[in-house]
Amino acid sequence: MTEGAVGFRGHFEAGRGWYCYPTKRFKTLSVYAYWLNPLTAGETSGGALVPQILRRASQSWNSTVLVERRLEELYGASFRAEVGKIGDQQLLSFQFDAVNGRFLPGHPDMLSQGLNFVREMMYRPLTVDGRFDRAIFEQEKVLLGRQIQALINDKGRYALNRLVEVLADGQRFGISRLGTLEEAERLTMDDVLKVYTELQRRCPLIWFVVGDVDPNAVQQAFDASPEMADTRGPLATMTKFRPHGQARAVVDRQPVQQGKVNLGYATGITANDPDYPALVMYAGVLGGFPHSKLFMNVREKASLAYYAYARLDAVLGLMIVGAGIEFDNFDAAVDIINQQVDLMRQGSISDEEMQFTFKGLTNEIRAENDSPGRIIGRQLERVLVGGGPSGPQLIEALSQVTKQDVMRVAEQVRLDATYFLTTDRQGQSAAQ
Amino acid sequence: MPKPETVIQEHADIDERIYQVRLDSGLSVAVLPRPGFTKAYATYATHYGSIDNAFKVPGTDRTVSVPDGIAHFLEHKMFEKEGGGDAFDDFSRYGASSNAYTDYVSTTFLFSTTSHLQENMDILLDFVQRPYFTEENVAKEKGIIEQEIRMYLDMPGDRLHSNLMKALYHHNSVRLDVTGSVESIRTIRPEDLYLCHRTFYHPSNMHVFVTGDVDAERVIAQVAEAQASREAQPQPPIEREYPHEPAEVRESRVEYRMPVAAPLFMMGFKDEPNHLKGRELLRREIVAAFMWNVLVGRSSSFFARLYEQGLINNRFQAHYTAGLTYGFSVLGSETPDPERLEAELRDTLDKLPISQQDLERQQRRELGEYVGLFQNLEELAYVHNHLVFRGSSLFDIPDLIGSIRVEDMEEFRARQLSPSQTAVSVIFPE
Repeated sequence: MTEGAVGFRGHFEAGRGWYCYPTKRFKTLSVYAYWLNPLTAGETSGGALVPQILRRASQSWNSTVLVERRLEELYGASFRAEVGKIGDQQLLSFQFDAVNGRFLPGHPDMLSQGLNFVREMMYRPLTVDGRFDRAIFEQEKVLLGRQIQALINDKGRYALNRLVEVLADGQRFGISRLGTLEEAERLTMDDVLKVYTELQRRCPLIWFVVGDVDPNAVQQAFDASPEMADTRGPLATMTKFRPHGQARAVVDRQPVQQGKVNLGYATGITANDPDYPALVMYAGVLGGFPHSKLFMNVREKASLAYYAYARLDAVLGLMIVGAGIEFDNFDAAVDIINQQVDLMRQGSISDEEMQFTFKGLTNEIRAENDSPGRIIGRQLERVLVGGGPSGPQLIEALSQVTKQDVMRVAEQVRLDATYFLTTDRQGQSAAQ
Repeated sequence: MPKPETVIQEHADIDERIYQVRLDSGLSVAVLPRPGFTKAYATYATHYGSIDNAFKVPGTDRTVSVPDGIAHFLEHKMFEKEGGGDAFDDFSRYGASSNAYTDYVSTTFLFSTTSHLQENMDILLDFVQRPYFTEENVAKEKGIIEQEIRMYLDMPGDRLHSNLMKALYHHNSVRLDVTGSVESIRTIRPEDLYLCHRTFYHPSNMHVFVTGDVDAERVIAQVAEAQASREAQPQPPIEREYPHEPAEVRESRVEYRMPVAAPLFMMGFKDEPNHLKGRELLRREIVAAFMWNVLVGRSSSFFARLYEQGLINNRFQAHYTAGLTYGFSVLGSETPDPERLEAELRDTLDKLPISQQDLERQQRRELGEYVGLFQNLEELAYVHNHLVFRGSSLFDIPDLIGSIRVEDMEEFRARQLSPSQTAVSVIFPE
């Protein structure tokens, strides 16, 4: 059983659970629910299609227009049903945000409205003889295919996805959260119904409520809800990234205006590892802030890029470095990045860099409290990874990290793949 | 001299109040306390954006034109400090995270912090008033901003909008990208930056806004003290030159090719030059938001029809944007068939009914979004500053929402949908 972090009530047990974060800070109320589904090659698009279909209509609001009008009547409440991924799991999210009834004419009870709305959309889809509405299914299937094809439109994200694919090299975390186009095109109604049944009956389910609510009322609501009564499949243990061991390099060519260089490193350290706080400091000093080595050297000194960053995947034990550069500057940029990573290993880190990074991280962690989405995200990650410090405990742990600790984790950081998205035109350079 | 008086405005229904004062230097300051929040968020903004590229040099009769993109360039360069180092480092020392952004009408410097508010305020109030430009540091920035521009050039949504603006407008500088172009920024010199800073970063043209768990009187006293020690020379009102803009669009259609999966479509509607400001302008913005939501918002049957035909996706949206010298609506998304989508829109938008129930749903939605605004300090500051530089205020919003009638939307539709004021931008796969 996983208890909530500071500020949370609730628990997660036998594949299902709920957490409530009561606070007067917010004028809104957030009700989020998540289903988890293991990423599986050839079986991912079905999961991606489920939230898209559920979002369209339910038994009470049997057209999309009625669903949308219902949200407007709830004073512009927002509802998102999306698919994401965390580690090697597909994450299906249903997120309802509305203004707390206290601040609205007539003081409506937004907690029950929100819980009812999300439940209605997840569990009472518009069906005919136990099957989804045929037209909705067909429309959403086409749109999913287009969405997969449109992944090339966002070059930054495309380059990042390609690097992750190269790093994974067959490991499940490399599978796209949307699946592949072939898979999406092949999907039948039966495939999607099968996934939906699995999600409804067996996949782990987690609810979150954040806002000025009575946690006892939240508890009563979940105690009385049928979908929380039965035990469900346990949370799968997240599988760490298994490095290839040999740094690989991949280049893609497209008619682009800017090159994107992304480097992937194995850290071997995940959020519940005792060395995790030292790794967070490491990534912060290297590339988390404007005072960090990458920003200072790639951007401010060499003037090669507008952005240059390092960021961690705490679930997989992975670090990614990225920058957008002139095509001809690939070698120069990679040289500088390598130098900075070497300096980290040699412990060439000033006291000021350590202090600024600690303060910057403290600010980021404390500021999470001002966003319902980030409060929920932090707790969700904690449940999925199985503990690890967060919030004030993480700040405390970071304050204990020494330069020697950072050098120790630096020894474990190994380059595993380099990816470059560049122009497909011969001899194109900056001097036009 | 009497002490400038702080005015407190209150919105009791939602338990919010704002403290406002104009200091002797001309600087206006507003504080909106949000007790219980962990962080404080502060902005220091100047009423100077990408469209202000021709103006009278203060104290002379001479009008100058400066290179496109200079307001954004100046925003980047303000962080540089004489004697090395930059303002980012100063904020890092006190654990704050800082940034800045430039749009058509304003440039905003900001920080967010969970400790040392006073020290961080001092840094913000100081660095924005302390320019330091050299041949060398200006040359260095050109490489960085060129990469920023190239990043945007690869973003299809950005290209789509940028091309549309060039089609809608003949002369008004809203037609240009806020960043300028790779070519225009290469011509920027330190003396241009000093001139723009001297002209537009005068306290009388600027606004400070602070929100979060803060003590309003203390913040105002600190800003007043910092201003008093600066002794800014009084400056006559800035004379900006905006070229005459015809009512008609420059081009009715513009097409472009890029490596995208499917075509992207955007339709733009130029509003007549209207010289609205203050509450009138804000009212126009709310009427426009209501009208577009009723006609093509996600709760409209027209949206449902286009979506069910596969002509649009969930990212389809319509909105209106306005400043003191321009106003326009845009709508669009990816589509497999730009021609059919365009025909549908042209045939249908002026015929759809607008009912009293539609209006009431929009009023509810807008009221909820207004209350929700106080939840997100960054967004709150953004909307507050947007309104300050257009002459209205946040607390005007609820009254205006209640004042809108169906006829307002009808009237706006009639003026907005004129074919001579409409242009289309399309991006096709390469």
